Amino acid sequence: MSTTRVPTINDLRVKLCYICREEERADQPSDNPPRAWTHPCNCTLIAHEDCLLKWIQSSQSNPSRAPNALKCPQCGTQYEIESDEPVILRVLASGNQVLQRFGRYFTVFGAAAAVGIVGTSVYVCLTAYGAWAVEQFIGKEMFDLILTDDPINWTWSAYINLPLLPISLILSRFTSGTSSMVIPSLLVWPPAPPVGERSRRLFEYWSKPENSSRIRDGLLPKYYWPPPPILFGVVGVPIVRSIYRHCFGNLYYKLLGTPMPTQRRGARPGLRFNEGPLIIRIRAVDDEGHEIGQDEEDGHPADEAPAPPAQDGAAAGGQDANADPNAAAVQAAEQLIEINASSLGRRIGGALIIPAIASTMGTLLFRLSRRSSLLRAFLGLRGRKATGLLPLPPWGRLALFPEEKELNMPWKQLSVFQQTRVGLKILVSAFLGGSRTWVDSDPVWWRNAVGFGLFVVAKDCIHLLHLWLAKRELESRRVKDRDFAGVDIRELDLLPSFAELI
Amino acid sequence: MGSVSARRLAKELREIQSEGCPVGITLVDASDFSKWLFTIEVMGNSQYQGEAYTLQFRFDAQYPISSPAVQFVVTDGKEAPVHPHVYSNGHICASILGSEWSPVLSVIAVCVTLQSMLASCKKKERPADNDRYVRTAPDNPKKTLFHYDDDT
Repeated sequence: MSTTRVPTINDLRVKLCYICREEERADQPSDNPPRAWTHPCNCTLIAHEDCLLKWIQSSQSNPSRAPNALKCPQCGTQYEIESDEPVILRVLASGNQVLQRFGRYFTVFGAAAAVGIVGTSVYVCLTAYGAWAVEQFIGKEMFDLILTDDPINWTWSAYINLPLLPISLILSRFTSGTSSMVIPSLLVWPPAPPVGERSRRLFEYWSKPENSSRIRDGLLPKYYWPPPPILFGVVGVPIVRSIYRHCFGNLYYKLLGTPMPTQRRGARPGLRFNEGPLIIRIRAVDDEGHEIGQDEEDGHPADEAPAPPAQDGAAAGGQDANADPNAAAVQAAEQLIEINASSLGRRIGGALIIPAIASTMGTLLFRLSRRSSLLRAFLGLRGRKATGLLPLPPWGRLALFPEEKELNMPWKQLSVFQQTRVGLKILVSAFLGGSRTWVDSDPVWWRNAVGFGLFVVAKDCIHLLHLWLAKRELESRRVKDRDFAGVDIRELDLLPSFAELI
Repeated sequence: MGSVSARRLAKELREIQSEGCPVGITLVDASDFSKWLFTIEVMGNSQYQGEAYTLQFRFDAQYPISSPAVQFVVTDGKEAPVHPHVYSNGHICASILGSEWSPVLSVIAVCVTLQSMLASCKKKERPADNDRYVRTAPDNPKKTLFHYDDDT
């Protein structure tokens, strides 16, 4: 019987609290009131209940000790706590834990969302700009046909092309001498099929037999001018550009007496921007493959033509003068001008405003064309369409392209050879003729492109004039000579002839 | 001084005085219940043979619920032992002084643990981040959140 009896805390002769180290003997109950004892674990440690609770509470409120708060420090047994823990407290505690966890997730997701929001708004801005630029460039009428104001109508490719537009515009400013890429990048649109409500109405109108027969009868004129936009962008622009560069180079040489540098910015690697008090310099890795330090002014290999910073321009000018005095003078003049023309904002702003410039110049040309039938023909302007007719659907001609019977047969009934032939034909006609969207609409894009070309020419000419005037000013500089009025004569070592005259 | 901590410290002191300290540990000063000083020597064969260090305990009113602030004395020409867990300002990176502290430990138990920490040392060197820590360390080592990376 006695072997099965298990002793409890009340059977101990001496109780020693492992926390406060006070002891209580069973034979002399001293304290009044008596304090409660507890044996919470599997080893010999015992403690006052209030001491232990105090220790547990203090441990639980210390983050580094909290995991071990309910463990016996000696045997590691988990303490069991009984308490009035109403359901609501448990709910609150676990709710608190859940909230804590959610809070952590929120931190992560919040950061991600913030990045996402910023990214999205940048994307939206870029896209909106792209749409605006396209509208400016190809005109409202065609814009409504192939893009429309409502993004719902856009094809998926628009969501890629549009935001890339401002980026490519800006980039075109930073790669040397490729403003020619601007126009092609604005013309990437031709393959886009027409979208939007207006297009649907046109399609319905022209698909009625009585209307479509009118097209077949050749009621509408064929336009071979202006050139198809893809052809113009890919072939025409580079040709026109190289001819122009050549002519401009000749003019440059005649006016300034030195050949136009192939690279406008001289040999300095990287870019330099002048933002008032702040000078930004971005340097690329130079030809030899080693990186040039951030502020290292003398880091250039000696054999490269030095593109001196403004303050020692005179020295470098002198060095170049041995080779070609004219070139040195032009270089000096360029430096004078460039000091006020190298702001980053000026370049980016200048790039982004290109569509507006093109549109303005196009409108200007349109106004001028009222006075000149030659200009009207060059711009490909048409008279008003026949009254009562809706304009030809943009894809009209492509659809009824040839009289060829293949196209009137269902695609599946054609042989492989015929299929290839038709496919090729459509491809070639799209390249040479553009999609008919471009041919049948008012060719706003053409006059805008021409207008922008004229603007570039005018800008280059103004720059040239500026350069020429600056160079002449530099060459005509003289320092004003003064006599020695006000200087004590005795301090001057004068020729005898002067002394005689006095 | 809080009665619980004073009573417990008084009891610990009584035990030290009656039973004496373990070998190599000497009570130097326990004139009040806020600061005690010991000297520690490592007995037998060790890196610290023949060297004695002074260990300082500071107690607050919550002792033994809260751990004592323990460090080596580095003033008055005294120095902290060169040990991977002892900073040159005397602070000690030992888990029993922080997250592993429990009231079952006592002042003497802490002394013995630190003594064996020194005895088991293989190579005399300072902690890797000694300079950085000493520059910014608080006066009280308990305010430092040590990262205990091993058990030695």
